[in-house]
Order: sequence, then structure tokens, then C-alpha cells
Amino acid sequence: MRLAEALKLAAPQQAAQQRRVELLCGFEPLHLNTFVKAYLRQRFPSDAIVTSTGLYGDLEGNIQRSSGKSEGAVIVIEWSDLDPRLSFRNAGGWVLAALKDIAQEAEERAKRLETAIAAVSKTQPVVVVGPTLPLPPLTHYAPMQASVLEARLTSLCAGMEERIAGMQGVKLVSRSAIAMASPAGERHDLKMELQTGFPYTLAHADQVASAAVSCLFPAGVKKGLITDLDQTLWKGILGDAGVAGVSWSLEAKSQVHALYQQLLASLAESGVLLAVASKNDSSIVAAAMKRPDLLLPSESFFPVEASWEPKSEAVERILKAWNVSADSVVFVDDSPMELAEVSERHPGVECLQFFPDNPSAVLSLIVTLRERFGKEAIRQEDALRASSLRAAAAMDEERTAQDSGDFLERLRAKVRVEETDGDDARAFELVNKTNQFNLNGRRFTKAEWKERQTEKGSFLLGVSYEDRFGPLGRIAIVGGRVDGNTAEIDVWVMSCRAFSRRIEHATLRAVFSRTGAERIVLDFTMTDRNGPLQDFVQEVSATPKISSGKILITREAFIGACPTLFQEVTEGWTDSKKN
Amino acid sequence: MDGLQEKLAHCFSLAFPDLPAAEISTASAESIPGWDSMAQVTLLSLIGEEFGIDIDFEAFEGATSFQSIVERLKEMGVDG
Repeated sequence: MRLAEALKLAAPQQAAQQRRVELLCGFEPLHLNTFVKAYLRQRFPSDAIVTSTGLYGDLEGNIQRSSGKSEGAVIVIEWSDLDPRLSFRNAGGWVLAALKDIAQEAEERAKRLETAIAAVSKTQPVVVVGPTLPLPPLTHYAPMQASVLEARLTSLCAGMEERIAGMQGVKLVSRSAIAMASPAGERHDLKMELQTGFPYTLAHADQVASAAVSCLFPAGVKKGLITDLDQTLWKGILGDAGVAGVSWSLEAKSQVHALYQQLLASLAESGVLLAVASKNDSSIVAAAMKRPDLLLPSESFFPVEASWEPKSEAVERILKAWNVSADSVVFVDDSPMELAEVSERHPGVECLQFFPDNPSAVLSLIVTLRERFGKEAIRQEDALRASSLRAAAAMDEERTAQDSGDFLERLRAKVRVEETDGDDARAFELVNKTNQFNLNGRRFTKAEWKERQTEKGSFLLGVSYEDRFGPLGRIAIVGGRVDGNTAEIDVWVMSCRAFSRRIEHATLRAVFSRTGAERIVLDFTMTDRNGPLQDFVQEVSATPKISSGKILITREAFIGACPTLFQEVTEGWTDSKKN
Repeated sequence: MDGLQEKLAHCFSLAFPDLPAAEISTASAESIPGWDSMAQVTLLSLIGEEFGIDIDFEAFEGATSFQSIVERLKEMGVDG
């Protein structure tokens, strides 16, 4: 982005909602501040963007003085923050005595910065950018040779960054991503630094701001990837070459397909749904998928759609099996024709081409897929996602042959409902990504979510489930406030994988139990996508037609409307927790 | 306004978004309260980007009006 465009985007706007971000650095923030505001505005076009900065030359103090009440903080560290003599604006000396002192000072300051960053991250999300500028030529070594001081400072910085990357609530901007976007020799504007205190070229400031904002506020993560097989998952045409004839190895000059399979294996491990859409004979596909040298288990793919029908129809069936919207899915194929056909029928699906003869393009595709599916933490529920879908399909097949009540009784279902809190990352994830069973569609920033839990009378429960088809992990969150004998629920979400098991009934019963309330009031808002929750609320409130607003459910009415529940329920709170 | 002045006016409109277009050609640090040293740096950075030239801030010291900046640019051989 050019400065001119950034200034236009960064110009003050009137808007109903303000988004406050702190930009904390030791240098004059100048154009970096402009670019950060611009990227925030691009990310949140309807918000009024407000950034606050700190004092020149005092990064540690700026972090300590952070209000902790913004939507996030971008902390940019440069060498001069570890020792002012590492700045070109300082004339503290490049003699031997100074160099030894610099190394020691840098170690102490790095420790203090880590402590300050850990403290500020407790109340707001933080992104850290480590030093990106070159060190001054302050040692007696020829420039092509790294001095001991340079190696020591680089090692110190690497250790600091490693610890920062592992801190809860802190994200570290990738050094290699910055290196790809901003060549090292084009980052430093010495003239600007000497004249104004701002050390970056415009291009580098742009890249740092872009990386920081996209780390702090990542775009929505996709949920599923549908892949073609021939010339995509493997080299060769299965129908011509046979099961043994397709390849994915260095020896067979088809290593790019191995790289792609490795990526899919990694995505599956992190909970991404994988499916196949291939124009092929289904029996030969089944045989090929059983090859023991495939780099990911064939069970990772569900469903596997192999037929001679248009791929858009396969995609349609896959979306239905997954119960996800098209805009949360990516389709990968080597054929531009197939991509165009799917894109026309499913414009929400992102269609990306696999170029089997262009390794650079394959690497670029892999990086793009990492961007689409990248997430910070892999949870137990991620590993269960694909298998739970497969189990749900098996369950549905069995259910159609039996009476619903009998079927649920034979599930041997176990529900665990336990108290949780604002630090529960899975709860925060569920609340912010669930659409269909969602009481009011409300989303929360981390700061808002934590604050919510500190209000008087508040409660927050997490629900986990398993049955004879397997565990689903933590699949629902319900929360609210208790006042006397009334509990108001203002947060209630449940994963769509958990439908049709009467878990929502068990959850409501647990809320009555946990709160001791005689009345529950649901703070309900109708959205485009929460139809499943609307049906449930109608059922238990015995209201023929519900609308947005407060919906009352008495204990007596619930007991009357609730169907038989067969789950074995365990509760994870003490009696003293009841309000 | 010639081409140089039009491009410069565009830079002024970005650096000082509240400045009415009609007042740009007579704008100066005396007439615009927000024209401080950092605004000067932003304006000169925009000029460098717009005209594709390397700006020496010290060479523009004292050039704190639209007209004086026009003169300075012409002295540097910059045209629209």
C-alpha cells in the first residue's frame, strides 16, 4: 500500500463502534502508525479506528503504561530498545569497552521487555514484531563476517522471540514472512531516522503494519478442503496408470504431490475437514486410497466422492455431509475447467489451482492454504472433528432404521457439564464461530469475554459429550447471570456436530441445577442462521412462534416439555457454586 | 494550476484532509493549525512518493507554504 492510500484510509471517520489499538515502540511511530490505522480500517471498514502510541525512546515504559483496555497492542521492538547505542541516532561509541557493555545491557533489557509483554498480554491480545533493521557496523570485523557480538545479539533476540511466541495471548510476527515481503537491504531509511526518529522505509513500514494487523486480527479461518486426485493429490491419471502407477516421490519426479499430501496431513491433524471430489471409478479410488505409502491416512478424507458426475454435484454432497457453508471451504484441482464449473455453481467456495509442473506455484499454493487454515492452537476437539462426522453419518444410517427414542437410549451417551471461565480458549473459540445453534449471534473480543465473566452473579458452563460412536469433546457453552431465582442466559452455542442427541435439553436442565433458579430467561435474537436453536426454544418454551427478545422458561414448563433424556450426566461444580 | 501544482495539491489534500480545496494554493503553516513538524514530514514523504523523488527534509526547511514548496520543487528540476 502506498502512503497516499494509507492516509486516505487512516483519515478519521465517524462510526458507531470504535476500535482502539495501541502501537507501542521506542522510535517515532509516524508512518507506521498511519499504515497500522489503514490496515485496521481495511479489516474493519465500519469501525472508527483509534490508535494510541507512547513516548520516544521508552518502549518498556510504554508497555508498562499500556491501558490494557484496547482491542489489542502491537509492540515493535528494534535493536535500540535493547541498547540505545545500537541506534544510529546515538553516539555512545563503538569502541571495545562499549561493545561488552552493550551485550550485557541488551540481555537485561530483553528480560525486562519479556516481563512487561507477559504482563500486558493478560488483559489484551498482543502482537510482537522483533527487530527487523540491520545492526550498525559497530565492531572491528569486516562486514561479511559475523562478529561475536552480532551472533550474541542475534541469539539473544532468537531466545527472547521463542519465549514470546510461547506466551499465552501473544503472537509473534514471523521473521521469515517479513523477510519474504520486505528485503533486508530495503528496510532502513537512515536519512528519515536521523531527521525524524522514524527508521523505516515506507515499503517496510507498510509490510510490518500489514503483518502485525493480520496477526492481531486474523481473517476467518476456513473449515474444509476438497481436493481432486489425479495430477493433484498424486501425479498421474489413476484410470490409465493403475493404483501402483500414480506417484508422489522424489524418485518419480513427483515430490510436489508429496508436499501437498504432507500439508493435507497437517491440516487434518489441526481439525480441517478433508474430502475428495474426483472424476474416477469409485472402486479404483478406494483401492488407491488404501496404499500404505499415502502420506496421510485414508480415513482423513470424508466423504470421498468419486464418480463421473459434474464435480459441483460432488461438492454439493460434501457441503451437506459437513453441514458447513460454502464460504468456509476451499476446492483444489489442477483443471481450470473443473474449478470454473464448481465456482459457477458454488460461488462461495474458494477455488485454487494446483500446478503440478510448477514447484514454485505449488509452494505458493501451500502457503496460501496455510493462510486460509492457519490457527494458533490444536485442541482435542480438532482431532475428533473428522471422525465425529463419520460417526454421525453412521449414526444417521442406524437411526433411520429405528425408533428415535430407542435409538437414543442405546447410544450410551455421557454428558459432562462443568464450570469454566474467561481463560477457556475452546469456549471463546466456540462462541465466536458457531452460527446455527447460537442464542443471539453475539461475538466477543477477548477483553469483552473476560470482563463478562467478572460481572456479579455470572456463570459459564462447558458441555462435553461422548457416546458409543465416539467422543465429540467440548461441544457447547452456556452462560449468563443469576439474580435471585431467575437465571438469564445471554450466551449459548452448540456445535452442529452435536445435533439430534438432546444435548441442548440436558444443558438447560444443568443450568436449572447449577443456578437453582426457578425461571430461565433466554436473551434471544433471531439470525439468518440460528434456525436449529429457534426450533428448540419453541419446543421448550411452548411458544407457537418466537421472536427476538427475552423468552421465559419456567422450571415447571421445561419439565413438562422436555422429552426423556437418556444421557448419563455428570456435573462439575460444588454445591457452594450455586447462587 | 499546472501539472506539478495539481499533484502537489493532491498531496496537501491527503496531509491536511480538513483543508478546503479552494484554500490549498494559499495554504501555509501560519494558516493551518495542524501543520507541525510531523505534518511537514508526512507532506514531504507524500511529495516524494507522488513525484518519485528522494526528498531531503533539510532542503525543504523553511518551505512551509504551498507556493514555497512549488518553488523548491521547480528549483530541483521537478515538473508535473
